[in-house]
Amino acid sequence: MKDKNIKVLLVDDEEAFVDTLANRLKLRDLKVETVYDGEQALAAVKEKEPDVMILDLKMPGLHGMEVLREIRKTYPKIQVIILTGHGTEKHEEEARRLGGFDFLKKPTDIETLLGKIKIAYKEKLEKAFSAIAFAEAGEFDTAREIMEEENDK
Amino acid sequence: MKLRPFIDFLKSVITFRPMDTGADFAEMRYKGLKRTLVFWMSVLTIVPLLVLFTASYYWLQALFHEESRHELAWDIENAKNQIEYFVDVKISALRFLASGHRYDQLSDQQLLARIFAAFKREFGAVVDLGLIDKHGIQQSYTGPYNLQGKDYANQEWFHKAVTRGIYVSDVFLGYRRLPHFAIAVKQDEPDTDTFWILRATIDMETLNRLLSSIKLDDADDAFIISRSGTLQTSSQHHGDVLEQYAVPALLRQRGITILDLKDDAGRPYVFGYAFIKDTSWILSVVEKSGTRTKIAAVFRAEYFAVIAVIVFLILLAAFRMVHVMVNWIRESEEKREEVLREVEHATKLASIGRLAAGVSHEINNPLAIINEKAGLMKDILMLSENNVDREKFLRSVNGILDSVKRARTITHQLLGFARRMDVTPEVLDINDVLTEVVGFLQKETLFRDVQVKQNLGADLPRVKSNRGRLQQVFLNIINNAMDAMEAGGRIEIITDLKDKSTVRARIRDSGRGMDAQTLKHIFDPFFTTKGMTKGTGLGLFISYGIIKKLGGNILVQSEVDKGTTFTVELPVDQPVPTIA
Repeated sequence: MKDKNIKVLLVDDEEAFVDTLANRLKLRDLKVETVYDGEQALAAVKEKEPDVMILDLKMPGLHGMEVLREIRKTYPKIQVIILTGHGTEKHEEEARRLGGFDFLKKPTDIETLLGKIKIAYKEKLEKAFSAIAFAEAGEFDTAREIMEEENDK
Repeated sequence: MKLRPFIDFLKSVITFRPMDTGADFAEMRYKGLKRTLVFWMSVLTIVPLLVLFTASYYWLQALFHEESRHELAWDIENAKNQIEYFVDVKISALRFLASGHRYDQLSDQQLLARIFAAFKREFGAVVDLGLIDKHGIQQSYTGPYNLQGKDYANQEWFHKAVTRGIYVSDVFLGYRRLPHFAIAVKQDEPDTDTFWILRATIDMETLNRLLSSIKLDDADDAFIISRSGTLQTSSQHHGDVLEQYAVPALLRQRGITILDLKDDAGRPYVFGYAFIKDTSWILSVVEKSGTRTKIAAVFRAEYFAVIAVIVFLILLAAFRMVHVMVNWIRESEEKREEVLREVEHATKLASIGRLAAGVSHEINNPLAIINEKAGLMKDILMLSENNVDREKFLRSVNGILDSVKRARTITHQLLGFARRMDVTPEVLDINDVLTEVVGFLQKETLFRDVQVKQNLGADLPRVKSNRGRLQQVFLNIINNAMDAMEAGGRIEIITDLKDKSTVRARIRDSGRGMDAQTLKHIFDPFFTTKGMTKGTGLGLFISYGIIKKLGGNILVQSEVDKGTTFTVELPVDQPVPTIA
C-alpha cells in the first residue's frame, strides 16, 4: 500500500489539535511529523523532506503565509494544504496565489483531509514520474520545464 | 470700546462646536451667537455711520455759520452805505450853500430863514441853520431857539471844524429833548484871508429808520455808538440814546468786521461793526439769538429722520443676515453631525466584522480540537474492538471538555462585550475597563509577541462614563500601538489621578513613533498610515469624538523610533474631597 509512504508534516500552534490529528493520521498509516510554529516547520522540512504539509495560518512568530511562500521557493515539490480556523476568502485567494495546494477550514472531517492529502501526494508523484519519464527518454528540457512550472506555481 | 468681549466673540465663532453639547445647550448657543453677531454687526456699521453723520452735521453748521456771517456783513455794509450817504448828502448840501453864498448874504437873517425853509423842504430832518464867523460868534441863526450872537469860540466842535473843514458831531439831546447831531462846514475867503462856518442840526429819526433795514430777531440789536461808546441811537436791549455801551475792544478797521464774542454770562454772540465815514460813529450789530447761524429746525428734523430710517434699515438687515447665517451654520453643523453619526455607525459595523472574524477563529480552534479528539475516540473504538485503551480514551474526553470550556469563555466574553455597547452613562472604574480590554486582546498580544505591562493606580475615583465606548477607545489605541511595533515590543498602561477632578490613563508603546506631520493629522477623519486595505482612518477620529462627548480629553505625544504615548483624561464622578 503506497499510502504508507506518504510523509506528512503538521504545523499548528494548537498542540492538542496537532497531536490528536497526528495520532489519527498515523492510525491511517501515514508517516506524520508535528511542529508547533513556522520556524520549526522550515527546519523540519529540510530534515524530514515531507511530501505534504498541513499548515495553519495564524501562529505566533512566522505567519503561515510566510511559511508557504518560503516553502514554494525552496522546496517546490512539497504540497502545502492550508488548514486554518481563520479562513476568510481573502486568505484562501492569497494562499492559492502563493501556490498552496488546497485550503481547508477548521474543523474539518478526517476523511476530507485524508482525501486531499492523497490527491496532493498523487499529483506530486505524477509530476515527478512524468519528469523522470521525460528525463529517461532524454527529454531533459521538458523534464526541467515540468519542475520549473511547479516552481512558478 | 472694550476689546475683550470682541475677542471672546471671535473665539466663540472660531471654536463654535454645538455638536459637543446637548441639543438644548446648542440651541442656547445659537441664540447667543445670533445676539452677539447682531450686536457687533450693528455696532460696526452704525457707529461709523453716526460718526459720519455727526461730522457732516457740524460741518454743515459751520457752513451755515460762515454763510450767516456773510449775510450779516452784507446787511451791515448796506446800512453803513445808506447812513454814509445820508450824512454825505447833508454835508454836500451845506457846502453847496456855503460856496453859493457870500458871508454878508448869509448874515442876513431873512435870507438865511428863506434858505433854511428851502433846505428843509428838499432834505428834511434839518432842525436849525446858523452862520458862525471866524471868532466863533453866531452871526445869524434860524431855528427853534434864539441863538443869535452865541459865542462858540471855546467849544470843541468849533475848533475841530476849523482844523478839519468839515465836522459831524456826536449825538446830543436838542430841540424837544430829541436826539440830534450837528454838521459844520468851514468856508474859506481867500481874498480877505478869512473864513466862516455854516452849521446845521439834523434830526436822528431818519438814521433810526435806516438801522431797522438790518434784518434782526427780537433778541438782537442794531445801533450806532460813538467811538467812546456812547449810544447814538436808542437800542432794544443795550440802553437808550446817550447811555454808555460797554464796547468790546475795537480796532479801527476799514470795511466790516464780524466778531464771535461771549457775554458776561458766557453766552456766545456775534458782534458786527463798521465805522461810518466822516463821523466818529460806529454802526454796531449784536446778534444773540443765533437764528441766522442755526440750521433750520425743519432741516434738522429731516436730517435726524433720515438717520433714524438708515439705522433702522441696518438693524433690519443685520437681523435678517444673522438669521440666515446662523441658520446656515446650524444646518451645516447638523449635516456634519448626521454624517459623523453615519460614519460612527459604519465603523461600528466594521469593528463588529473584525470582531466576528476574530471570534470565529477563537471558536474554530477549540472546535477543531474537539473534532479531532472525538474522531480519535471513534478511531479507537473502531480499530481496537474490545480492549479499549481507557487511558487514551479518557485523555481525549478531557481534551474535549477543555476545548468546550475554552469556547465557552469566549462566547461569554462576547456576550459581555455586546451588552456594553449601549450608550447609557454609568459610573465605572477605569482600571476595570482597561483590564477587560487587555484581557480581550491577550491572544493578540501573545500572538504578536507584545508585552503588556499594567501599572494601574490604586483607589482611583470612579468616572462617569460609558463602558462600551471607553472599551472601543482603548481597544483602538492599543491596537494602534501593536500595529506600530515589531515583535518583542512593550506596551505600558498607566492610570493615575491627574488632579482631583480628572482621572488619567496613559498608554505608552515602544513602537516606531510618528513625525510632527503625522501627529498633526492624527485625529483627522480618514487619515491613516496603515494603507487603504488595513485602516479606515476613522478609529482615532471616532475615539476623539467619544472622549470629547464623555467630557474628557485625548492627547498624544510621540517621538520617531522611541514610541508614542496616548493620554485619555476623564472627569471623575464626584471630585475627590480634599483631606483636611
